[in-house]
Amino acid sequence: MTLSLMNKVTLILGVPFVALTGVHGAETSAPAKVSFNRDIRPIMSDTCFHCHGFDANTREAGLRLDIREEAIKETEDGVLAIVPGEPDKSEIIIRIFDEGDPMPPDKAHKPFTPEQKELFRRWVAEGAEYEPHWSYAELKKPELPKTEAASGNPIDAFIRAELAEKKLSLSPSAAPQVLARRLSLDLTGLPLGGETVAVDYEAQVDSLLASPHFGERMAVWWLDIARFADTVGFHGDQNQRIFPYRDYVIDAFHKNKPFDVFTREQLAGDLLPEPTKEQLTATGYNRLNMMTREGGAQPKEYLSKYGAERVRSVSAAWFGSTFGCAECHDHKFDPIKASDFYEMQSFFADVKQWGVYADYGYTPEPELKGVNNDSPFPPEIEVESPWLKRQHHLAGEALDRLLAETSASLQSDAKLIAARDEWEKGLAPFLKSHTDGWLTPAPLEGKILKDGKPVADRSPAVATTGAIAADKALGRGESLEVTLDPAGLSTLASVQLGIEKGELDAKTMADRAGKALTFSLAIRDSKGAVKKLSIRHAEATAKRPVFRGGGEVIGVQSEWRLPAVLSVEEPLRSVWLVSEPVKLSEGDRIVATLGGDNLLPVKLSLSPLAALEPLETAAPKTLVALAAATRDAEAVGLVDTAFLFSTAADRAAYDAAHQLAAKQREFREGKAWTMVTLPTDKPLEVRVLPRGNWQDETGPVVLPSTPSFLPGRLESTPEKRLTRLDLANWITSDANPITSRAVMNRLWAMFFGTGLSAVIDDLGSQGELPSHPELLDWLAFEFRESGWDLQHMVRLIVTSETYRQSSNLRPELKDADPANRLLASQNPRRLEAEFVRDNALSIAGLLNLDDIGGPSVKPYQPAGYYEALQFPNRDYVADTDARQWRRGVYTHWQRTFLHPMMANFDAPARDECAAARVNSNTPQQALTLLNDPAFVEAARGLAARLLGDQRAKTDPERITAAYRIALNREPAAREVEALTAFLKTQQDHFSAAPEEAEKLLAIGLSPPSGLEPSLHATWTQLARVLLNAHETITRY
Amino acid sequence: MSPFHSHFEALRVNRRSFLQQSSYGLGGLAMAMLHQKGSAATADLAKPDDWKGALKAPHSPVKAKRVIFLCMAGGPSQYETFDWKPELKKLHDQAFPESFTKGQQLAQLQGAQLKARGSFTDFRKHGQSGIEVSDLFPEIAKQADKLCVIRSMQTEQINHDTAHAFMNTGSIIKGRPSMGSWLTYGLGSETEDLPGFIVLTSAGKHGQQPISARQWSSGVLPSRFQGIQFQSKGDAVHYIGNPDGVCQSTQRQVIEEIQRLNGFLAEEQNDPEIATRISQYEMAFKMQSSVPELTDFSAESQATLDRYGVKEPGDGSFASNCLLARRLAERGVRMIQLYHRAWDHHSQIEEGMKDGAATVDGSTAALLQDLEERGLLEDTLVLWGGEFGRTPMGQGSGRDHHILSFSVFMAGGGIKPGTTWGSTDELGYRAVEDVVSVHDLHATMLSLLGIDHHRLTTKFQGLDVRLTGVGGNLVRGIVA
Repeated sequence: MTLSLMNKVTLILGVPFVALTGVHGAETSAPAKVSFNRDIRPIMSDTCFHCHGFDANTREAGLRLDIREEAIKETEDGVLAIVPGEPDKSEIIIRIFDEGDPMPPDKAHKPFTPEQKELFRRWVAEGAEYEPHWSYAELKKPELPKTEAASGNPIDAFIRAELAEKKLSLSPSAAPQVLARRLSLDLTGLPLGGETVAVDYEAQVDSLLASPHFGERMAVWWLDIARFADTVGFHGDQNQRIFPYRDYVIDAFHKNKPFDVFTREQLAGDLLPEPTKEQLTATGYNRLNMMTREGGAQPKEYLSKYGAERVRSVSAAWFGSTFGCAECHDHKFDPIKASDFYEMQSFFADVKQWGVYADYGYTPEPELKGVNNDSPFPPEIEVESPWLKRQHHLAGEALDRLLAETSASLQSDAKLIAARDEWEKGLAPFLKSHTDGWLTPAPLEGKILKDGKPVADRSPAVATTGAIAADKALGRGESLEVTLDPAGLSTLASVQLGIEKGELDAKTMADRAGKALTFSLAIRDSKGAVKKLSIRHAEATAKRPVFRGGGEVIGVQSEWRLPAVLSVEEPLRSVWLVSEPVKLSEGDRIVATLGGDNLLPVKLSLSPLAALEPLETAAPKTLVALAAATRDAEAVGLVDTAFLFSTAADRAAYDAAHQLAAKQREFREGKAWTMVTLPTDKPLEVRVLPRGNWQDETGPVVLPSTPSFLPGRLESTPEKRLTRLDLANWITSDANPITSRAVMNRLWAMFFGTGLSAVIDDLGSQGELPSHPELLDWLAFEFRESGWDLQHMVRLIVTSETYRQSSNLRPELKDADPANRLLASQNPRRLEAEFVRDNALSIAGLLNLDDIGGPSVKPYQPAGYYEALQFPNRDYVADTDARQWRRGVYTHWQRTFLHPMMANFDAPARDECAAARVNSNTPQQALTLLNDPAFVEAARGLAARLLGDQRAKTDPERITAAYRIALNREPAAREVEALTAFLKTQQDHFSAAPEEAEKLLAIGLSPPSGLEPSLHATWTQLARVLLNAHETITRY
Repeated sequence: MSPFHSHFEALRVNRRSFLQQSSYGLGGLAMAMLHQKGSAATADLAKPDDWKGALKAPHSPVKAKRVIFLCMAGGPSQYETFDWKPELKKLHDQAFPESFTKGQQLAQLQGAQLKARGSFTDFRKHGQSGIEVSDLFPEIAKQADKLCVIRSMQTEQINHDTAHAFMNTGSIIKGRPSMGSWLTYGLGSETEDLPGFIVLTSAGKHGQQPISARQWSSGVLPSRFQGIQFQSKGDAVHYIGNPDGVCQSTQRQVIEEIQRLNGFLAEEQNDPEIATRISQYEMAFKMQSSVPELTDFSAESQATLDRYGVKEPGDGSFASNCLLARRLAERGVRMIQLYHRAWDHHSQIEEGMKDGAATVDGSTAALLQDLEERGLLEDTLVLWGGEFGRTPMGQGSGRDHHILSFSVFMAGGGIKPGTTWGSTDELGYRAVEDVVSVHDLHATMLSLLGIDHHRLTTKFQGLDVRLTGVGGNLVRGIVA
C-alpha cells in the first residue's frame, strides 16, 4: 500500500495537486479505482482543456473532453476520442502513447509522465467515468466515518479515518503550555504574556472567543479578503475615509454575526428595508476597489477596471475562485463563461461611483465640483465611532477637570484674584460703550497688495455699513490690507469677520458662494515696527469643508471657505483667536490682510475678549455676567472663564486648556465619515467585452445573473432586474454549494496553515481536490446548518484532537506525506505580520489593548518612504501618543507603499482580494526584528518589565520570567546558561560605554524607565535576542 | 525530457500550494520530485542564498546576465529624444490631421482641438551608425554606436499608474510579478550578500509623477523575489542600520545569541523553517556590512564622480544612482532599476525636457562608457525609456500621454549596437514599421538572458502566469 501510495504521489506532480487520499476514503486493499476528480481531471485541466475544453473559440479538432457525452461521441472527422472500457480503441489513449505524434503535443511543453499515461489507460479501461467538479457539486452532509477513538468531534473522525487507512495515528497532544499559547495566538493574535491560564482548555476557548481581541484577530483575516485599505491605490494613492468599515468587521466577528447576515450587509446593506447606519457602513465593502483621480484618465476605462475588479474580488471572497480569465474569454479550464463574468459585474452596476474622482475640464463631473487631491471619495455617510466618542469624552472630562481646578484657584490664589479684578475694572468702560463686546473701527488706510507689494492706483472700498471690500475681484497673488485704530482697546484677544444680514444682494451672494477667504493679522507700533500675530484657532458659523489628505480641516484656520449656498437672510461670521491675547500700547495699529478667490465685503471687528471655542467669544451670557452687579455661582464661573481665556494670566492653565481643546476637536465629537454604497436608479450598461476591451461595444448587453456553472441559477428578466440583495441571498442559500466550502477551507487554513484544498484561491478545476473532501463537505454543511455560526465552527476546530496535537513534524512521514496533508501532527506557523508586531509589543508590556476600533494609526516608519508619492505630496508623521502602540490591524494601509514592517512580513497591499498570504522567511524579516525602532523599543520595554519584577532578583530568575512572558514556558538549563553568559558580555560592554547605553535606551517614544542605563541596556539586548528568536514569532 | 525541464516543471507548481505544503522545508513537491526523477536538483526555495533559479539550464544562449533599466518615469517625448519628425515640425501649430486621430484614445486632450506640436529642438546624426539623436542629449549621442534605438514602441495603457504596471509586469492586473522578480526567480542572483533585484529612485524638477512599490512587487511569486528599494534618506535599505548605541560587534553578539537559541530550538522541534531562519540572519548580517560598503563611494576616483556628475555621493540624484547601478552590476545584482521621475510634460515641455535631459544625459552616457571600460557592458543589458510616449499634438505648452508610438533604447548584452529598429508615420503618431509591443520587448529581454518567455511561468488561480501574458514575440532584428 505504501508503495502504491508513493506512486500516486509522484506521478501527478506535474500538476498542483498532491493526492494522498481517495475521494471516498474507502476501505480498499487492491489499487483504488481511478477517480476522475482525483486523478484525471487535474491532468486534463492542466494539459487538455486548453484546446479541448470549455472555450469554444480555442477548441481544436471539434473535440471536447470536459463533458463525457462529447468525449465519447464520434467527432466530425470520425474520431472516437474515448471508448469506455476499450483503451486500445480510444484515440486519446493511442495518441498519448504515440511518440511520433504525441498528445499533448510537444509545443505545449506539458508532456505526460509514463505514470500519467498509464493512469489514463486504466481510467478508460475502467469505464471512463466522469464526476462533477467537487466544489460545484451539490452540498450534502457526509456520513461520519467509524473510528475507534471517539473524541466526539467529527473532525477527528475524518482525520483519524484517513490516518488509520495509512496505519497511522494522531500525534500526542501538545504540552499544555504550548497549547495554551497556540490557542491564544490563533484566536486573538496575542501571546499569554505570562498570565496564568485557565486549567480547563475549553474554558480558555470560551474566554478567548468572547474577547473583543478575537474580533480584531478575525478582522485581519477578512480585511485581506475585503481588500480593506486606507488609500485608493491608483496613481496619487490618496487617503479614503473608511475605517468605520473595519470597526464593523471587528464588531461582527466579536458579536458572532451570522455569516449570511455579514454577507448580505456588505454586498447589499443599502438595499435592506430602512437600512441602519451599521448596515450602510458594511456596504463600504463595495467601495474598497482601487480608484483613480489621475488627470487624463478616462472615466469609462476606469469604470470598466473597477467593474472587473469587483467580479474578481467578490468571486474570490465568496466562491473561492476567481472569474479572472473570463474577463477576456470563456474560461479554458472551468465552465466559467465570459457572460458569467459580466453578469456578475452587472449586479454592481448600480453602485454609485465615478470612473475618475475629479471634475477635470476634459471630463466634467458636476457633482464633483471643487474636488481636489485632498478631497475624500464620495458617497460617504457620517457615523458614530465608538473610539472617537470615547476619546472625545475623555478629553472633555480632562478639560472639565482642568477648568474646575482653575476656577478653584481663582477662589484662593490672591495674585490671580487681584489680576482678575483689575482686568474686570479695565474692561468695564469698553463694554459699556461696546455692549456686544466688539469694536468695529473704520480703516485708517487700505491697500491692494500684489505678492505683498502695494498696487498703485488701487485701494479697498468701505461700505456704509463699515464692511470692507476690494475695489474689484482680487487676482492671483493679490490681497487687501487695512490698517485699523484699536482705540479704546487695551488688549486684543480675538477678531471677527462678519457678513451681516442683508448686507449683500442675492446675486452677489450667489457669486461668492463656496469661495475662500484667508486672513492674517499684525500689529504696527508707533515706531512703525510690524509684529505678525499668529492665529490659535478660528471657527465660522457656516462653512464649506476644506480637506487635507482626505480629512476635513478643523476650524477655518487655513481658510474660510464660504458655504456652497449663501443666504441673504442668514448672517455669517467667523471668529479668529489671536494665539495669545496681546496688550496694546498707545499708537499701536492693527494691520489685517484679507485674501481669497473672490472676497466678499466683510465687517472686521476686534475684541478684548476670547473664549476657548472661538464662536463663544463675547457670548451674551458672558456679557450679562460681566455686567451684573451681583453674580451667582454660574455667573462667577463665566467671568472666571472669560478672564482665563482673554488674558492668559494663568498661563499654565490657559495653555493646557487650549491643548486639551485642540485634542478634543480632533475627535470630532465622536463622528466620522465612511464610504458607502449608494444605489443609483440608473445602473451602468454592462456588456460582454470581447478580450476585455472596454472600447469594444460589439458584445451583448447582459443583466445580473448568478453563475451559470453553479446550481440554482437566478436570472434577471427584462421585467425584473436582479439586485445585489438577490445575489447576497442566493450566495447564502442552500442552492449554492461553494460559499460555505470556500469559507470553511480558508478557516481551516487559519488553524492548520494549509486549506483542506491547498489552493485556497482556486476551488475550480485548476485547484486541488481536498485532502479530505468529506471533511470539508461536513464542515461546510455544518456551517450552513448552524445558521452560519462562525464561532461555532472555530470552536469545533480548536477543540478537536487534530488541532491539539503536537506540532512536532514527524520525520518518519517526511517521504510519505511531505506536506503533512494527512495531519498526523499540527503544523508550526510563523505569525502573520500584524501579530508579529502585537506579540512583541505585548511581551514588552507596551501594547495598547484598551482601545478597540477607531481611525488607522501610524507606527514608526523610515523617513522618506513616501517620497515618490504625489497628488498630494505626503509626509508620514508617526503617532506620538497611545496610538503608537496599538495593534497591527489598525496600521495605516497605504496601498502603493505599505508599511515596510508589514510588507516584510508578507502582509498584502490589498489592491485586490488576497485570500491567502504567503509565508516567507527572508533577511528583511531579520533586519526588521533586529533594527526597526518598534522592536528595539519593545525590547527596552521587556527589559524594564523584567528589571522591575520584584519576584525575580537574580539573572536566572529574570531569564525565567522572560521565557514565561515571551514563550509561556520555562527555559532549559542550557538556555539560562547561554543567556547568562551573554548578559555578561553586554554588561561589560555597556559598563565601559555608558553613552552607548543611553543611545540605545533613547529609541522609541515610551517614557524612560529611570533604571540604571548600563543594566537596562544589557537587558534590552537580551530582550532583543528573545524577540528575534524563531520560537517567539512562531506559533507551535 | 531534458534534465532542466523536469526540474523546471517541478517548480512550476502552484506557488501557493507549494509554499503552504513546504512543511518540510524543501517543499514537499520538490522533495517528491527528487524521488520521481532521481534528479540531483538541490535548489531550495526556502533558502534564498541557495536559490539558483527555476531554470536548470538556459533555454537559449545567454547574452546578458543582468539588466539595468533606466526608467524615465512620466513618459519622455519621443519627438525631443529619438524620433526626428521634420514633417511634424513643418506642421507646427496647425490643425493635426483628423485622419490620424479619429477614434483613438486620448488622455487629457479628450474633446480638445488638436494642433500639431513640432519638436522644439533639432536632431543630428551621430557616430558611424548615424543614429539621429536630439540636441538635448549630446552625451548619449556620443554613445550612438553602442545603442539600439527602437522607435516603434507601443503600449496598451494611457495613464501613468497602469502604464507602469504594464511596462513592469506585462499586465494591469494586480499581483503580477515584475520583470526583476521574474529574472531573479528564473535565474537566481549572482550575489549572496545583496538582494538580486534593486530599485533606485530619483526625481527632477519638472514633470514628476508618483510611482508605486507595486512596480517592483514580486506579486504572486514568493516575496523574496521582490525588488528592494534603496532609500535616498536614512538607511539605504530599510532597517539595515544597527540601532543607536549598538555597534557592529555587539550586534554580532546579539545575532550569535539568536542563532544559538534557534539552534537549541532546532534540536527540540522538527521544523525546517528554523534552519532557514538561521540562514536568513546570516544573510541579514552580511547585508548589514555589504550595503554600507556598496553605498560608500570613497573608493571611487574624483574623475569617476565627475564623469557621472555626482555632486554628493548617495544623495539620491540620478547621477549618484547611475554610479550605484554600476557598483551593483559589478557585484552581480540581477536586476537594477532606476526610476527618474521627471518626464510628464503636459505643459512647459521646453523647460521640462531641457532640465530632464541635462540631468540624465551625462550620467547615462557615463554609465554606458564605464560599463564598457570595465567589460561589463557585454553582458549587461541597459534599457532606457518611459512607460509610454507623448502626443505629436500639443497640449498648451506641453504634450499629452501617447501609447501608439514611443521610443526607447537598449544597449549592451546581446543587443545589436549602432542600430535603429522600427519607425513611425510621418507625423510620428503611430508606429507603423516593425512595431514592438511591451510584450515583445519583454520577450526579447528574457531571451537575451537565456529565457524562453513561454516557459518561465508560475501557476496562479488556475492560470499559467507569465511576464508576456498571452503575447510576446522575440524581436530578432535587434539581437546581435
